[in-house]
Amino acid sequence: MSSSAAEPEAPDLVCQLDNVQGMVDALTAVRWKRLQDAIVELSEHGVVFIVEETGCLQAKVYLQRELFIRYEYGAQGRPRFGVSLGLLVDCLNTFSVPGRSTMIEIRYPGPDMQLLLKSVDSLDACIYAEVRTRIPDTISWDYNFEPAGSTPLSFTVKSAALKEAIDDLEWPGSSIQIMLQPVPPSVTFKGEGHGDLQIDFMYYVNTDLLTAFSCDRQVSYRYKYKFLRATTSNIPSSVIKDNRGSKVTMGRGGMLKVQHLVSVARTSVSHPHIDSAGYQQPSRIAYIEFFVKPEEDEDAVND
Amino acid sequence: MKFKAFLTENGVNLLEKRFLPALDKMGKICHLYLTRDHTMFLHNLLSGNEVQSIAQFRKEALFDDYRISSQNEDRIAFAVDISLLHRAIRSSVSICTEFGNGPTQNRLQIKLVKKLPPNCTQPMPFLTFETKGYKSAVIQDVPISKPLSRAEVLELQTALDMAQDLPQTLVQIQDLNQLQNFVDRMKHVGDLLNVSISKYGDLYVQISTTLITLGAEFQKLLVIGEQVDAPAEDRHLSAQTRSARAILRGDAQSVQVSVKHFAKSLQCHLAKPDCAFYGIAPQGACLTVIFQFFIPGSHQTDKSISLHCRLPVLDPGSS
Repeated sequence: MSSSAAEPEAPDLVCQLDNVQGMVDALTAVRWKRLQDAIVELSEHGVVFIVEETGCLQAKVYLQRELFIRYEYGAQGRPRFGVSLGLLVDCLNTFSVPGRSTMIEIRYPGPDMQLLLKSVDSLDACIYAEVRTRIPDTISWDYNFEPAGSTPLSFTVKSAALKEAIDDLEWPGSSIQIMLQPVPPSVTFKGEGHGDLQIDFMYYVNTDLLTAFSCDRQVSYRYKYKFLRATTSNIPSSVIKDNRGSKVTMGRGGMLKVQHLVSVARTSVSHPHIDSAGYQQPSRIAYIEFFVKPEEDEDAVND
Repeated sequence: MKFKAFLTENGVNLLEKRFLPALDKMGKICHLYLTRDHTMFLHNLLSGNEVQSIAQFRKEALFDDYRISSQNEDRIAFAVDISLLHRAIRSSVSICTEFGNGPTQNRLQIKLVKKLPPNCTQPMPFLTFETKGYKSAVIQDVPISKPLSRAEVLELQTALDMAQDLPQTLVQIQDLNQLQNFVDRMKHVGDLLNVSISKYGDLYVQISTTLITLGAEFQKLLVIGEQVDAPAEDRHLSAQTRSARAILRGDAQSVQVSVKHFAKSLQCHLAKPDCAFYGIAPQGACLTVIFQFFIPGSHQTDKSISLHCRLPVLDPGSS
């Protein structure tokens, strides 16, 4: 293979990242099954990974350009390509050395439209990868998330608590009702199936748990459990450990948006000045968003 | 056919803490081959499709008061379950440390015996471990196969002789942990590993499937055997191009092995070798890994211990 023979035009993107593990964490969060494809969209603002399932669930991972220590964008428009998410995560994982920050360079496209990765921080040992990309499928439905009204319907909850609640709802299974009500301000998760289970987050009772709450009318929608579960099942342990909030918003028509923040900072060993409260520069955060469509037969539930 | 010896403290340490855990990963059953001067643990020597591992100790490295006799030039070989052997030695150690007051007090004797087990009419062969504690003696019988016949021992010895050929070029890997980490993670991506070794001191390991190519290049490794200076013009090429050009020039060899086998051979680091050498046997017959052990506190090879693995080649590739 003589990739160097014909010098290709300037690539669409050359970027370097000093914390592979952060990227692995962020992408793992949206990997809810083993074989899964992702669409990658490049722009001058950063890289977005989009994953979806049967028109009911979509996840996006935003890696903003500020996360990269070098970001050279040379494309016109916003190039998109498809890639196997599972393979990419396994591949990136290979670059990640435990207890050390590994610096990698990501380049697109290669001579055969591949995504090229290589480690750049060691002189005598180099890891390299070429991941085949494909022409992306069109995204089957557009997740135009619109606010449900003038007052947003949203709450922010500790990520670990959200995950725990959703994990617990596995037992009743199949269909989960999420209800927000202003008086008393609370969020209710209710599962009915092989039994009933109701989990209430009360805003004033435990402000540690529910850190923010906004709701001006009672609203309730049902969601398929397996889609709801996908929003928290692979949340990286670093997010649970930091235990920042995850923000949940209900949009028009009951579209559910779940947002997580994943730290892509270098391991704290090399940044001892990050204070113990876990504060990190906002630029070192990857944003993850899930959109879940409600189940169809919902008119009866909403007033 | 007689075998009786006392395991030294060093021998117990070598086996219990280092070699048996490593050899256990290579396969449950191995041949224990005893000669006048050596003790050998041999894995898969008589079958071609698995990782062969050959661990050889001079008798002084493990035993004192070593007595062996057989009509076949004092050679005895049998198959034994490594995990049982490991368990027997481990419990002997715990008895010694519990009651012992010095290495000479508690001698761990190993003996080849034939016993009539309960509910059996035929006597069966065992390797017996006898530990004398302060007030008690513990005897453990590890079942073994029937000792190999003269013809079978000859077959084993022939296989052993054939397994001694050295690759023309060997490159040294010092950080086995790094390599193991990498290969363990790489396993998820594919099953076949291309390994290429150049006379410049480069080692490449690479998995290629229709969807992905993932590899690592280790450069400027110490070379033993045939060695050539790396051409300066290659310096700025990509790892894959560099490897391909080295093969074209005849300065490198490449073979394809199973990732699982490669990962398995790396388990030998449990034996705590000081470094490892990788090489490809002539005609790409196998991938050889030689583990090196230093005399403690020195950088001199401990010649009384040797361990090497041979990985079967799935595709002879280019040579």
